Amino acid sequence: MNIESAKLGRSSAGFAMSAAITILFSTVLACVKDAYKPLNSFMNSVAWHNWITHGFVDVILFIALGIIFSKSGLAERIAPRRLISFLAASVIVAGLGLFVWYALF
Amino acid sequence: MNITSSDVILLAHSTFGVLGTLAAVWVFVEALNARAENAKRIRVVAWIAALCMIATWIFGGYWYIHFYPADRAMILKGPWPFAHTLFMETKEHLFFIPLILSFYLPIGAADKLYENANARKMVLCVTMLIVLSGLSIEGAGAVINHGVKVALLHGVAGSGR
Repeated sequence: MNIESAKLGRSSAGFAMSAAITILFSTVLACVKDAYKPLNSFMNSVAWHNWITHGFVDVILFIALGIIFSKSGLAERIAPRRLISFLAASVIVAGLGLFVWYALF
Repeated sequence: MNITSSDVILLAHSTFGVLGTLAAVWVFVEALNARAENAKRIRVVAWIAALCMIATWIFGGYWYIHFYPADRAMILKGPWPFAHTLFMETKEHLFFIPLILSFYLPIGAADKLYENANARKMVLCVTMLIVLSGLSIEGAGAVINHGVKVALLHGVAGSGR
């Protein structure tokens, strides 16, 4: 096996894709619940506090998408370099997006 | 000396956050030198990073729900309201990034990093992102802490704990 061109494992690729999507989703959810108070109130009613609900939703989404992407082999077909870049970009966009959102609104 | 449960929980929260970040640094260094001999150690430390982040989440969440509202009231009446409106709001949601990445770390580290350059790059990237986001969150925590301090120095204690 060529060490440089080796693929990521099925679970490794699937959950990496899931992590990137979950991180972007989490940032969008933070902005939407901040702008749309009924959603915030609903999330408060689900699990004591909207932040706790938010965390559970993120974890459940991460696990669910990870299983789906791993079993389907979808993420495995993406070039590892692209997957790594996508994950890094999602973290940078999500982190800066949160800071800018709360700085402006 | 008067150490309250609030103090213990808050310090446990930040301590586990630092330990999780340090565990990610450890995995980063081990992955740079990935060999068959340190493969097991990489996997064990990756799990330690994830467990520390879970502990941070539980302690931080409990403190945030039960004790932070008093501090928030003080911060908002003090000279540094942005310590809550910008830094705490960003921090509490930014935390989910290293949390999810630390959940991923043991999965990524399960690949044979010593014979798969791409798996090694993935682990290096994830650990670096955990460290950078973890340090940002620790910095935000310091700003929030200072927001309470300057509020107290300006005599805004009436609305606090």
